[in-house]
Amino acid sequence: MKKDFKLIIDNDELENMPAIDSGMTDELQRWPLFGLSVGSFLQVIAMERQTCIMEVYLNAGHWGHFCFVQGELYDAVCGELEGEKAAMEMIVWENVRLNIKQILNTSGVARKIDKNLMLLLMESSRLRDEIHDGVQKPDGEEVEEEDEIDALEDVEDDAQYEKLNACLEIMGKDMGDALVAASISRIDESKIMASYRDAPEATAAVLRMTKFLRNSLRDAAADNLDDHYIVDLKGRQTLVVFIVGQYQWCIVFKNEKCTLGLLRNVIMPKALRAFDEIKLG
Amino acid sequence: MNIQKLNVCMDILKKDLGEGFVASCIITTDDGQVLVATDKANIAEATLLNDATSLIRNALKTYPAELGQYYYIDVAGNMAVLVIPFGDYQWTVTINKKLVKLGLLLNVVLPAVINAFEDAVVS
Repeated sequence: MKKDFKLIIDNDELENMPAIDSGMTDELQRWPLFGLSVGSFLQVIAMERQTCIMEVYLNAGHWGHFCFVQGELYDAVCGELEGEKAAMEMIVWENVRLNIKQILNTSGVARKIDKNLMLLLMESSRLRDEIHDGVQKPDGEEVEEEDEIDALEDVEDDAQYEKLNACLEIMGKDMGDALVAASISRIDESKIMASYRDAPEATAAVLRMTKFLRNSLRDAAADNLDDHYIVDLKGRQTLVVFIVGQYQWCIVFKNEKCTLGLLRNVIMPKALRAFDEIKLG
Repeated sequence: MNIQKLNVCMDILKKDLGEGFVASCIITTDDGQVLVATDKANIAEATLLNDATSLIRNALKTYPAELGQYYYIDVAGNMAVLVIPFGDYQWTVTINKKLVKLGLLLNVVLPAVINAFEDAVVS
């Protein structure tokens, strides 16, 4: 059965908008969701594994759409841009208007974006930070986005990213509904390598937590953080962080559906075996 | 706060953990001062873990989630540290993880000491 989004339409706000011509009002009413950031809504669609067209409207000169199949980003179009370039252009937009259209037949949909959505989001986040920090060429021109993406591609190993995501998918299948979120990061580089329903901000926060615990133990007791720590959460959930060399696995799960013992003794060893194979491979 | 009952808490802990018990310390979260500590307690570590608790609370907001009854840190070698934040107080327990099973610690000892601690705090 197809799932439908529940659209929250604030008609009052539409009525209270400044007077504009009727054509413009009709145009704006085409976009029932507004005041959102594109990045956050993309994550919702991916998480819900939707098959849909997400239309995005920033202003009269800037609009486009994303195409999702089963939560995977297949394509994007923005003006003359297509695929990844169009996606990178639109991901950073905020306070946009959105419209969702279901795709009933995906047979004609060609995949033009191979990169994982989370990777695109992280890249755009980094680009945005650099633009905010005023990264400029010596002659004063802003660094072109295309150059930035090319540079990132040199650094990021997409193949490994996909394999690590596959590791988390294995864990997701084993744990089912019990798994709330998971991620794999490089501690020394503070770099998120793979993510399963885990927001980049949350993973970054746990990375900071790990580094703080490491430093605290070393400073206060000349001890080192060993291979894991466990944080009991309210709402019958647990956060477990496993340290594997320079990598950190961060897992949040529901206690009522999975025990800590099952995670530590059965699920995690299996996931780590897959992880070791990737590292060795 | 009932100091005698607080000492009872420590006695329960020592008895339940047996040889696995290494050290323990209860501090006030507000100023990091020690209320009760056993001989081998590492006060510096307990104080830094007070800061760690604040950092964990803030980090969890990003999920969003809230810190529950405890957190447990596996330390290289034989040791592990169990931290029990409790309102204005924080209890740090260092154990020998080779001698104390995690299941026993979290499912048997922890509920017992939390009850005793609660009793000591409200008295």
